Amino acid sequence: MTGTSDLLLVSVDVESHVCAMAQTPGVRFADFFGSVEDGQLVIRLVWALDAEHEYRVARWPARGTGYPPLSEVTPAAFVEECEIYEQFGVSPGKGKALNRLVIPPGAEHAFPRLGEAPAREHPLPHASHYVSGDAFEFPFGPVRGVGQESMYLGLVTSGEELIDLYLLQWHKHRGIERRLGGEEVARALFVIERAEGLSAVGNSWAFLRAVEEIAEVTPHPAVDRSRGVALELERLYNHAAAIAALCQSTGLAVGQAQAEIVLEQLLRLNAAVFGHRYLFGVLAPGGTSRAADADALVTSLPPTMDTLRRLVDALWATNSFVDRLESCGIVTPAEAARLGLVGPVARASGQDIDTRRDHAFGPYAEVAVEVPVRATGDVMARMSVMVAEMEESARLALDLAGAGLGAGTVEVPPATGSALGWCESPRGESLLWVDLDGGRIRRARVRPGSVRNWRAFDDAARSRNVFTDIPIIEASFWLTVAGLAR
Amino acid sequence: MIPDRHEERLSAKLRDATHRLFGRSLHVRTVDTGSCAVCESEIRLLTAPHYDLHRLGLFFTPSPRHADLLLVTGPAIRAFDRALEKTYDAMPEPKLVVAVGTCPMGGIYQEDEFVHGQLERVLPIDVFVPGCPPSPLALIQGLLVAVGRLAEKVGAEGFTTLDEQEEAP
Repeated sequence: MTGTSDLLLVSVDVESHVCAMAQTPGVRFADFFGSVEDGQLVIRLVWALDAEHEYRVARWPARGTGYPPLSEVTPAAFVEECEIYEQFGVSPGKGKALNRLVIPPGAEHAFPRLGEAPAREHPLPHASHYVSGDAFEFPFGPVRGVGQESMYLGLVTSGEELIDLYLLQWHKHRGIERRLGGEEVARALFVIERAEGLSAVGNSWAFLRAVEEIAEVTPHPAVDRSRGVALELERLYNHAAAIAALCQSTGLAVGQAQAEIVLEQLLRLNAAVFGHRYLFGVLAPGGTSRAADADALVTSLPPTMDTLRRLVDALWATNSFVDRLESCGIVTPAEAARLGLVGPVARASGQDIDTRRDHAFGPYAEVAVEVPVRATGDVMARMSVMVAEMEESARLALDLAGAGLGAGTVEVPPATGSALGWCESPRGESLLWVDLDGGRIRRARVRPGSVRNWRAFDDAARSRNVFTDIPIIEASFWLTVAGLAR
Repeated sequence: MIPDRHEERLSAKLRDATHRLFGRSLHVRTVDTGSCAVCESEIRLLTAPHYDLHRLGLFFTPSPRHADLLLVTGPAIRAFDRALEKTYDAMPEPKLVVAVGTCPMGGIYQEDEFVHGQLERVLPIDVFVPGCPPSPLALIQGLLVAVGRLAEKVGAEGFTTLDEQEEAP
């Protein structure tokens, strides 16, 4: 069985708890966030025990100065430490260098946050980077190429080789988590879909699972299968888009055009099956708002998959393409485990994890999910994982449709309580922790897969790569800035 | 897929208008002021085989100096103001702004401490293309409308040289 377990700690135990958990094999750092409850800041740490099908949520009241620097034991926690400092003013020990995440430099003390502003803002936009000798810093962004999201990349280089890289993302911070406070579930769902539009189904299903658990409501199994079809269709079009982007970044115009044909066909399939090219508005509290057109799925998906297979065969036979992918942007399995990566990026680096199988929910409790894993951790491995996942998603979507799809909702009564919801979005595990008060949101923590996986982008970019490899690596990660900055 | 007749007609009109005004080279730059990444996905598809913007004499350019038209997505995040202003200022006159999607129209986020809510508060907009996201076809139609507006702007600008003006009585 899958589920979550709660653990209340007292502040003095936090350090030993983190050390013990971080050293236990098979324990993955999943999330770390604050929430103000009755005027008191409570910090929560989410561990995923994938082999035991369990999420363990440890919480403790943060009193006084803060908490021990967890990122020294669990490096994955660094971004969240910066976030908790920015949003709640609590720091992980004195003198620790932190990055700025979403508070723009020069912002007033009154800049809206989830809690109290820190007494002192970070003096630097990012923790200091070593730039000396022949190396210099090359700024790129925030306005980037055609159809690319805004983000600032600081590239430290000696001319060709990439020595270091950092990202600044406050240009896209919309205060999603803050906005959700006080909202009703239906309105919150609308916002969460648009937090990271390319993972709309993954993130909103995770949210609805938390809400439905609090309200003790279970959607009808046939309706849950419709949600499953939407989730698999989302994965299909995202991976197709990633392959198109990989072809573009390697200068393979023909391959790009072919991949975009598949992508467009999949988007039109989304529209035919669910009425929206990006599957917005499909999920609703207690079920789905639209009936899936299973006939459209069964007739259109197999020919599109045939087109995809021909494309992939041609790509694997194109040496100039494959040469750019091999040994490019390596994330080692050890690094992937250390940084708590999720989704295709983790699976390409030897991490055998998938929430659909390890923390089976809804329709995935009934169907077996094959999880492709590769060991090399390069761009090639990531593309190979995506291709294998597309085959599996197509199979799952057709199997779920074959078992019968339903539509409609069961009533979700206004409830009070908190719960963790999860889902396997195209970018990996999406976690939403929700605290409801009479059907209104007191606090919703939104952690899309992008947040975890951007953590490895600089490592991948640094590993013996040159400038022109960066777009290839970015395409193979296929993350969004929207999901990171929220 | 075969484009329908409505699309064919739209394409023909757009082709004629840009050809007349810009000798088959109207250059488009994109900028994101806080979108959810879905409008970007539709914009990227404009050059895909199903839509193929190049056949209409429209091209994407990464350089603001070459851009005639700015495609803007997102609700105009305040922290992005300076970058947006610089992007707009770097483009030569006459220039057009097309606001893409519901975000810049104020349909998703109200004005608050994070966002302006409406792009109009920070940039002069020539055309709004509604939709969450607008489909590539809707974007093509928006570009067609924008090119019509460009004709007005070019007319207002006056293309007579200084010499000619001096010679005039």
